[in-house]
Amino acid sequence: MGAKKNDILQGTLVLLILKTLAGQKRLHGYAITAHIHSASDQLLRVEEGSLYPALHRMEQAGWVRAEWGITEKNRDARFYSLTPLGRRQLAEEEETWERLTSGVGKVLRYA
Amino acid sequence: MRKWLGRLRNAIRPGRLDYNLERELRFHLTERIEELQDAGMNAEAAARLARKQFGNYTAQVERTRDMDMAEGLDAMLRNLRLSLRALAKSPAFSITVVLTLALGIGANSAVFSAINSVLLRPLPFPNSDRIVSIAQVQAKTPQPHIAPARLKDWNRLNHTFQAISGYYTQDDSELSGELPEKLTHALVAPRFLEVWGIAPQLGRDFSPQEEHYGGPNALLISDRYWRRRFGASPDVVGKTLRLGQLSYPIIGVMPASVAFVQRNVDLWSVSAPDFPYARSRDLTWFLGVGRLKGGVTLAQARADLATVQADLAREFPKPDAQIRTAIEPLKEQTVGGVRESLWVVFGSVTLLLLIACTNIAALLLSRAASRQHEIAVRFSLGASRASVAAQLLTEVLLLALAGAGVGLGLAAAAASVFRVLARELPRVDEIGLDWRIVLYSLICAVAATLACGLVPAIVGTRRSLAGSLASSGRSQVSGRRPAQFVLVAAQVAMAVTLLAGAGLLLRSFQALGRVAGGFDPDHVLTFRISSSWGETGNLKAAGQAVRRILETVAAVPGVESSAATFLLPGVPGTFPVELSLAEGRADSEPKIVAESRIGSAGLFATIHIPLLAGEMCPQESNSPGMMVNRSFANAYFAGAGVIGKHLGQPSSPYFPTAVVRGIVGDARERGLDHEPVPTIYYCGLIMQPGLYFLARTHGTPMALGESVRRKLHEIEPARSVYDISPLTAHLSDAFAENRLRTVLLTFFALTAISLACVGLYGTLSYLVNVRQREIGLRLAVGAMRAQIVRQFLGQGMRVSLLGCVAGLVLAGVFTKVLAGMLFGVSPWDAITMTGVIALVIAVSIAASLLPAVRAARVEPMQVLRDE
Repeated sequence: MGAKKNDILQGTLVLLILKTLAGQKRLHGYAITAHIHSASDQLLRVEEGSLYPALHRMEQAGWVRAEWGITEKNRDARFYSLTPLGRRQLAEEEETWERLTSGVGKVLRYA
Repeated sequence: MRKWLGRLRNAIRPGRLDYNLERELRFHLTERIEELQDAGMNAEAAARLARKQFGNYTAQVERTRDMDMAEGLDAMLRNLRLSLRALAKSPAFSITVVLTLALGIGANSAVFSAINSVLLRPLPFPNSDRIVSIAQVQAKTPQPHIAPARLKDWNRLNHTFQAISGYYTQDDSELSGELPEKLTHALVAPRFLEVWGIAPQLGRDFSPQEEHYGGPNALLISDRYWRRRFGASPDVVGKTLRLGQLSYPIIGVMPASVAFVQRNVDLWSVSAPDFPYARSRDLTWFLGVGRLKGGVTLAQARADLATVQADLAREFPKPDAQIRTAIEPLKEQTVGGVRESLWVVFGSVTLLLLIACTNIAALLLSRAASRQHEIAVRFSLGASRASVAAQLLTEVLLLALAGAGVGLGLAAAAASVFRVLARELPRVDEIGLDWRIVLYSLICAVAATLACGLVPAIVGTRRSLAGSLASSGRSQVSGRRPAQFVLVAAQVAMAVTLLAGAGLLLRSFQALGRVAGGFDPDHVLTFRISSSWGETGNLKAAGQAVRRILETVAAVPGVESSAATFLLPGVPGTFPVELSLAEGRADSEPKIVAESRIGSAGLFATIHIPLLAGEMCPQESNSPGMMVNRSFANAYFAGAGVIGKHLGQPSSPYFPTAVVRGIVGDARERGLDHEPVPTIYYCGLIMQPGLYFLARTHGTPMALGESVRRKLHEIEPARSVYDISPLTAHLSDAFAENRLRTVLLTFFALTAISLACVGLYGTLSYLVNVRQREIGLRLAVGAMRAQIVRQFLGQGMRVSLLGCVAGLVLAGVFTKVLAGMLFGVSPWDAITMTGVIALVIAVSIAASLLPAVRAARVEPMQVLRDE
């Protein structure tokens, strides 16, 4: 697959998922992509091929908890919610992100 | 942990995982298709687009699943690779750690293998926890033997035993070969094999006819004797052995596991309970064993047998009213005596392992500090603290596993050393490696990993350390390393504890060596001569047999005098009896209780116990006589008044009333570590199993062993002479367990102090290394070299003094446990403690001096140029 302009920068996907879940009680995978898509004004689209491996990795790291539930349309779906550990991870990653963007921004301005 | 469980579940049950994943992804697809339809696409086109966007569906499933499973394995393999590389880079460090741990874990596993085999494993019989030993308890004598008639009654009347049986042993001469061979012969009551729950491995059990008086003779032989004498030939059944006047056909071979209650039994035959002589309720000879019914508790069995005995007491008030019963698990009876010793040794060896771990932890701390840079780099590349710590721990785990592997080899070797060093230890033949020891070593390895690795992993991965990447390219380490010094102090403390314990045991041993036993064991040869209980039927002949043997031995050139006795002087053994005075005694006066010994008249001359008053027993006499020791005379008769009095147990066949002929000096009869107690010596012996013969010799006792044996063979061709050894060997054997404990503890303590020294030396050396620049600067601005030496020496001494203080506190606890094993020293023996502290200080000065002097030798210009 060639690079697309709305590919999510490697490493930021986790941050986005954490942030998305931080605002909600619990979301299934599809709702997470939908949220990121709409919250970014259709700028970012999460690849399913990255989303689910990322979600499972995060589950194993203990940042999110997953459980089966029923959607309002009465379908079986796996819902994810943030754990306290995930909340801490989010804070850390947000800080890293701030540092990175401000650093990169400065460099860009300087050049 | 949960993470691991999840992963394990994933690996084991991929089916369920796939199903769940598919369910999850299918849901996603459905939602997407619906959304596209909502946007106005027809169903088919929507499905096609959604699928296209979703990518290869199965690849998706696989990728997600791999993520779940592989990540953990991957991280583990990566850690393993990294660790191996890191360890290979510093082989000296790795080898030091592996060897230290191998020593710690090996020693620990070795002692544990002894504990496992001796204390933990059940005896090698089916449902062996149900086997108990049964004794009769009589106020007047301590002997636990049971009258055959009573044993039969107990078996008939109880409700809690599957079977009660008994046995006794004698040493017989087997005469079908060229020379008489001494064999240990157990005579057993009916139901003997039923109690053990075993069957002969070859042949059959005794038949009911054989269990009756006058029935055919029959013999079961031991596995060992079968192999030695018959080369394990299967047609041994039906062959005959000749014991004394009788020949016995062999009916079977016992399994090798029957090493109980006495491990050296070669032959078993029946002692018929309806033998006329066996009907007396006063004559006792069986040692009782029984097998409880399933589900019966010890308390129930004790209560049951007590009730049975109470009924018997009503029926036969004469002896039975005086008799109680005692029941103990057989295993307890077999190994109970060594439990304390084994746990003390185990405690010591565990302390040693702890010291080894602490030592390694300190080493790792130094290493972590010098690897700060590497760790900082890994942090900056995004490694989490957990993953760095995991990698550090993996390194230690690898070392610990290697150490455990080498240690297991050591433990296996130690098992054979045990068998040589601790021959007297019960069940020592069973000591060996089994899966439990391997498992135990692995647990040791993991525990050691955590003990050694956790502190360094936590300290080494502090974020503040990681920040050091920014601050300086050169590794700069602060001079304060509290964690390391705490670890060194802890090692010193544990070493002090072990040294104190070992010191006290050594001092006890010394005290034991200095003790004057009241007799002279040097130049005394001891030996035994086979005989059977049957001979005791003819008292006159049996008495003559002893006299003839003693005369023959005394006539051997080089022999000064000869004697016979039941219990060797100074060899632990106790046989207290209550006596009554024929001349009468007021009820208000204390009961006469004395340790009793039975010996020939020549005993006192042979072991040099002096006569203080009265006369010695004559060699031959028509009325029985006895000697008493000084303690006895003083305790009950105010000295010489005892001479001429008559003492004994009027109703007992074993202690007839006898006249007191004289008073002899006090001797430590019950063991060199026991003060002499009031003791009586019955004079006069008859030939019977269990006798020891003694001969005082002019030269080395053992030099006469062969001539004594040959002379005796001339007059007694049907008896075998065996167990020829000097009396001093018996005395030293009596303290074999004591000595083993002392040797082991001393070895552990010395290893411990060496390890602690190495720890102190290593930590100080490391400190000197990292502070070279500072030392160089100080020297450059005029510091004296002596000051530098004093500073580092002071630091070392402070740490070890702190360790000493803590160690003394620990020792206080440890030596309290030891108190029961000490002789002639208090658990707080000042000399021992001072010696220990002096030793520790001396070695810590040595260990600190080297690095301190090296620090002072730093060349300021050299260091500053290096900057």
